[in-house]
Amino acid sequence: MKYLISSALLSLLMLGCSETLTRVKPYEKEHFADTKMTLNILEGRTEHEGHIFLIREASAGGDSTFQGGCGCR
Amino acid sequence: MQIIKSFFITILMMVPFLKTYASELKNNASLGIDTYTDNAGVQVYSPTFALMKTLSKHWLVGFKMRIDAIAAASIRLSGAPSNVDAVASASHKSGFEDTRYAPTFLAAYDDGINSAGAGIYYSTEEDYIGKSFFFHYTRQFNQGNTALGFGYSQAADTIDPVFKRDINKNKDEKKLDISINQLIDTTLSLQFIYSYIDSSGFLASPYLYNDAGFERYPAQRTGHAFSIKGLKYIDDKNSMNFSYRYYNDDWEIKSHTMSVEWLHDLSETLMIGTRVRYYTQSKSFFTKKAGTFTSADTFSVVDYRMSAFDSYDIGIPLKYRTSEESPYTFSFSIDYYRTSNNAYIKRWYGDDYIQALYTTFRVDYAF
Repeated sequence: MKYLISSALLSLLMLGCSETLTRVKPYEKEHFADTKMTLNILEGRTEHEGHIFLIREASAGGDSTFQGGCGCR
Repeated sequence: MQIIKSFFITILMMVPFLKTYASELKNNASLGIDTYTDNAGVQVYSPTFALMKTLSKHWLVGFKMRIDAIAAASIRLSGAPSNVDAVASASHKSGFEDTRYAPTFLAAYDDGINSAGAGIYYSTEEDYIGKSFFFHYTRQFNQGNTALGFGYSQAADTIDPVFKRDINKNKDEKKLDISINQLIDTTLSLQFIYSYIDSSGFLASPYLYNDAGFERYPAQRTGHAFSIKGLKYIDDKNSMNFSYRYYNDDWEIKSHTMSVEWLHDLSETLMIGTRVRYYTQSKSFFTKKAGTFTSADTFSVVDYRMSAFDSYDIGIPLKYRTSEESPYTFSFSIDYYRTSNNAYIKRWYGDDYIQALYTTFRVDYAF
């Protein structure tokens, strides 16, 4: 529960700093439109290896994905 | 056949990274095949199919299908065949031993500021039924510089071992994700993610066993994961992404995961990359020296994942379009994965370590 509270407080803190957090204007975002600018350059690989790591290692989470149903963890 | 050998769909409902477009909902169809093979005798071939269709500017529905054809002795996926055969009275079959059909239905909404998605999943195989639902919501703030995301999934699975065992056949898992994305400057973006994972029910393998009998794990497990991920634009032809994750749970397993990937445009239509990943974990509180468990122990471990070990992964992704205007995108990746030497791996698989080669191939068609 303490982790949830910490995350919620951090979220509220960020929302209260809107001027500080507006660091890039809309017309300055061209680099983020580059097709390479993604954390998951190959969605198929992300899905496949996510399951492999779940099967071969004891950790999970931290990836904002849903992985379930296999009993592999 | 389930648990360790269970190769299964990973349903991806990403909390979207910061977007620079009003809406990213697009019609898309994809066809592909994933493969996995390792020195424990496991081979998996997984054809995949996905269809995403927009219903309006802001709404999309989708269907995904994955078929996992598991070749090589399925029992060996859980370990030493001769040992398990003696217990399970199972015999080896040639060819594909188990085939899993795993459909997913999903719906998504995106208006450029708010995005949400939800879906259901069902899969069945010889000894395992998986049922899940999931949803996520993300909202952008600060002129699209900040995004807060929330995701939740819940699975209620049923284990039905191929031979009679008096066990709790249920396994439930709840997962909660909270994410924050923030643009740092015109070339750098960071993402922070916290995940809460709660598992309960039968959490060991019904097949793995040692001199102390079958594996025995606690019936409850709660884990926490913290991640930071970064995306860096270097120049017109190069970018990189990196991530670090810290994980811990009440079984006292702690782990660190680091990954760095460099991506490079060889031409206007061809991109190649290199990715390196390192993982290290500690043992659970009920793991002892391999081979020392007795029937008097409350818990008993056979699976090496409850012990301390490291692993690394080196991979190459490739993406190609026949032209910049082409609706077709071809994606391919190949990765080599290897664990450190481990006494539990040696005892069960006969090798000092696990090493694997896995590939993915997709053709995407935007329409």
